[in-house]
Amino acid sequence: MSTDLAPPRSPERPPCPALGPVFAAEYKLLLRSVCTRGRLIAIGMLAGLSVLTALAVKLGDPYFTLDAGVDFVNGNIATLIPVAVLVFGVAVLGDLIDDGSLVYLWLRPVPSWIHVVAAWAATVTIVVPLVLAPVVGATAIIDTSPELIGGAALGGLVAIIAYSALFVTLGVRFKRALPWGLVYILIWEGFVASAGKTATRLALRSYVRSILGSMTDMHLKLGEFSLAVGIIVPLVVAALALLYTSRRLAKTDVA
Amino acid sequence: MSAASIGETPMIEADHASKWFGDVVAVSDVSFRIGPGVTALLGPNGAGKSTLLRMLCGLTPPDRGAVRILGADPRRDISVRGRIGIVPQQEAMFEALTAFEFVRLAGLLHGVGDPAAAARWALDLVELDHADHRSTTTYSKGMKQRVKVAQALVNDPAVMVLDEPLTGLDPRQRGHLIELFGRLGEQGRCVIVSSHVLDEVERFGSRVLVVAQGRLAATGDFRAIRDLMDDRPHRIRVRTDRTREVATELISSPGVLAVRLEPAAGGRPGAVIVDTTDAPVFRRSVAAAAQRADATLLEVSPLDDDLDSVFRYLVGR
Repeated sequence: MSTDLAPPRSPERPPCPALGPVFAAEYKLLLRSVCTRGRLIAIGMLAGLSVLTALAVKLGDPYFTLDAGVDFVNGNIATLIPVAVLVFGVAVLGDLIDDGSLVYLWLRPVPSWIHVVAAWAATVTIVVPLVLAPVVGATAIIDTSPELIGGAALGGLVAIIAYSALFVTLGVRFKRALPWGLVYILIWEGFVASAGKTATRLALRSYVRSILGSMTDMHLKLGEFSLAVGIIVPLVVAALALLYTSRRLAKTDVA
Repeated sequence: MSAASIGETPMIEADHASKWFGDVVAVSDVSFRIGPGVTALLGPNGAGKSTLLRMLCGLTPPDRGAVRILGADPRRDISVRGRIGIVPQQEAMFEALTAFEFVRLAGLLHGVGDPAAAARWALDLVELDHADHRSTTTYSKGMKQRVKVAQALVNDPAVMVLDEPLTGLDPRQRGHLIELFGRLGEQGRCVIVSSHVLDEVERFGSRVLVVAQGRLAATGDFRAIRDLMDDRPHRIRVRTDRTREVATELISSPGVLAVRLEPAAGGRPGAVIVDTTDAPVFRRSVAAAAQRADATLLEVSPLDDDLDSVFRYLVGR
């Protein structure tokens, strides 16, 4: 063996690496890992379906009202966006935990919040162009009122930010996170949230609806918070979820 | 032997470490200290080797006791993780990446000054082409193992924890990596390698940690361990031209428990197989016995001080 065993670098090295390049590298890695062809096609088709639906509706009824436009956006924000975020969010770290490759991130001199925030950022980065952009485009097809388009964009963005944090957490916390996430979206937010005020406050959908309702000046069921509350609460929830997940990941058993 | 000191400054230390999963005790009250050099972690499948290695790296906390690497707890002190190189047992890697990208990423996460140069160096060490543009998904198991070893080397670690690193490698690559690990150990790194393939382990050197049923059965030089096993008779082969006569003389030698004749075969002369409780005394008396029998001694060799025998004795197999 002729290869030199001395590595080509200075022996003086800080105990922990600079966090900026580490974050960028992890973000790129997670983005690349989670973007499987199957996921992109499945979610892309759902987003495409939203655009096709808007086209069909507009062609069928050119005088579509703002109320119906709000309902259309509401439907997208209530189901399409959370489901899309769920598919990517639970997998971004969950896949690494399942197959054991998390060890290659965990056993490095890098704080755990870097992994979690990189995973969250990767999820947001995928879902915004893949789903939010088509949803906003579909909204514009139905009604060009700036309030409705603004409500769709802002509500969708806040939803993606909050659901991404929530579902990254779910992926780290549970082995079968996808069904748990579906239970949350379809059962909790779909049914339980309308059972009472406390349940409503515990559903992200209520806050996102409030953004849409406030911006379009329409009253939406379960969307009774002010615009500020509708924005701030999901962002606080996202921050808390990321904080919890960072602590959880630092203490987790790594395969 | 439940605890032992290797004698040098410990780079890895386990202090009454235990780990259990529900009712199953995976590692039980294990204590040892390891210094620089290569140490083989031996044990049958399910003995707790991987759990012990995971505890040493901080990947899982001990339920009782403590582990330290370079004096620090790797679960709490993230800076010490920068001085560890690990080859985990699982095959999965970031499969969207090429080998070079994977190893460079490891270097970057360790804060290596020039991760690309370090990745090329590490891949050269394991004889992989850093210009290969294929994803590691297309690699054979042996090639993946070598990529894993390269990523463990890229930060020039002080401590290397290698869980079955030779799995899937061809004999030439096995030999290459065994030599590489030996050289890394000679340079003052602490290299701990787990395996259940005894031939392999014997080539790493003589220092072993033997784990059986979650407990540390022995630690140290396996030949010294064998010598300490007073309850097990040593078996020695004495090859000679007059087996019957030598056997008659040997049966009355001090410490000899039994003798057995091994007939000549395939052009080789016969031998006497002796079980003795005191090997050093026997070795001194065998020449005199041959002289009395007017025989020529052709070979005197121990039959059970190899790693395989020691291992079988220790784990009761």
